[in-house]
Amino acid sequence: MAYQRLTIVIRPWLATGARLVLAVVFALAGWAKVSDLAGSGRAVNAYQLMPFGVARVIGAALPFVELALAVLLLVGLATRLAAGFAAGLLTVFLVGISSVWARGLSIDCGCFGGGGQLAAGAHPNYFWDLVRDLALLALAVFLFLTPRTPVSVDNYVLGTTADEGAA
Amino acid sequence: MSSRAKAKQANRIVREQLAAEQRRRRTTVVSIVAAAVLVLAGLIGFGVYLNQKPPSDVAVPAHSTSDHTGIQVSSGPVPVDHLVAKKKITLVYHPIAILNDRSNPPGYSVRAGSAAGCASAAGRFLEYTKALYSKQPEEGSAGLSDDELVQLGTGIGLSDSGFAQCVRAETYSAWMANNTDAAAAKNINETPTLLVKGKPVTATVQALRSAVG
Repeated sequence: MAYQRLTIVIRPWLATGARLVLAVVFALAGWAKVSDLAGSGRAVNAYQLMPFGVARVIGAALPFVELALAVLLLVGLATRLAAGFAAGLLTVFLVGISSVWARGLSIDCGCFGGGGQLAAGAHPNYFWDLVRDLALLALAVFLFLTPRTPVSVDNYVLGTTADEGAA
Repeated sequence: MSSRAKAKQANRIVREQLAAEQRRRRTTVVSIVAAAVLVLAGLIGFGVYLNQKPPSDVAVPAHSTSDHTGIQVSSGPVPVDHLVAKKKITLVYHPIAILNDRSNPPGYSVRAGSAAGCASAAGRFLEYTKALYSKQPEEGSAGLSDDELVQLGTGIGLSDSGFAQCVRAETYSAWMANNTDAAAAKNINETPTLLVKGKPVTATVQALRSAVG
């Protein structure tokens, strides 16, 4: 009984924590790329998963989408939708990095700017990139399942009634 | 249950249903707004990028006009001078800036490459590029200043003010952007990358020799 009570109280706060961690990570990732959109396009192209023209469009759009997502997560608006979108994005990243690893390409993932050519003396870091993205994916899934969190705009816009029907 | 209690209960159920309905509607609206924000952000990114794109009709310096041989070598430890000497290949330089963010502040690759464009316009591309590589900065350092880039030119006989002006104005930075994008389109993302007739070749002298024949 006491345990159940504890999880009922703590779980939403943990979800707020997950929300803020995801917000910060996406903000950093978007901010690092937004000043060099051409470079971001080349970083996407380095995965060799799509024609250069498509990679350029995705590379230009991605930093802005990441920043917008970070804002949604930070203020806690449409948390369930944002968490689902974050999980989808992270899944795409995971697939991309895995495929680069499987094909033996040697690139910088470009996750936080840069991308393509590795720094001098650097080796690809796919394992830790995947571990990081998997951990973030876990946070996103947890947030998707616990979308009503303390300190969020959702609580004002959608009313404070518990989980049901939360965006 | 009395009829009054029944009516009360019915009222409560209707109220709850209405409230739930309202919540659902609000949730839908908020979700649509949030999704629109994400899509809009992507469109803004694309719009900003289109505005930044360099014009495609950029003046190309004399030494970098064409590429008959189909060999592309990004800077790296594959010596090709002997192939040039034996007239096996024609060597055409396309400076690219895939490491532009590795200087601090970023941007040295474009500044240096654009200065090489100025040298090319003045007919001294090879000498200037050689001088640049002799002063290749460590990753994470600032690289040469504009003054130093101009001085480097003076050292190889480019002492006119036109060259200095061209370097300081980064006249060929758009050319560098075009080169870099063109290279990315051919999947040249790392050094060394060696392509012969568009096909990737291991970046060794041996492999290059046998590929060229």
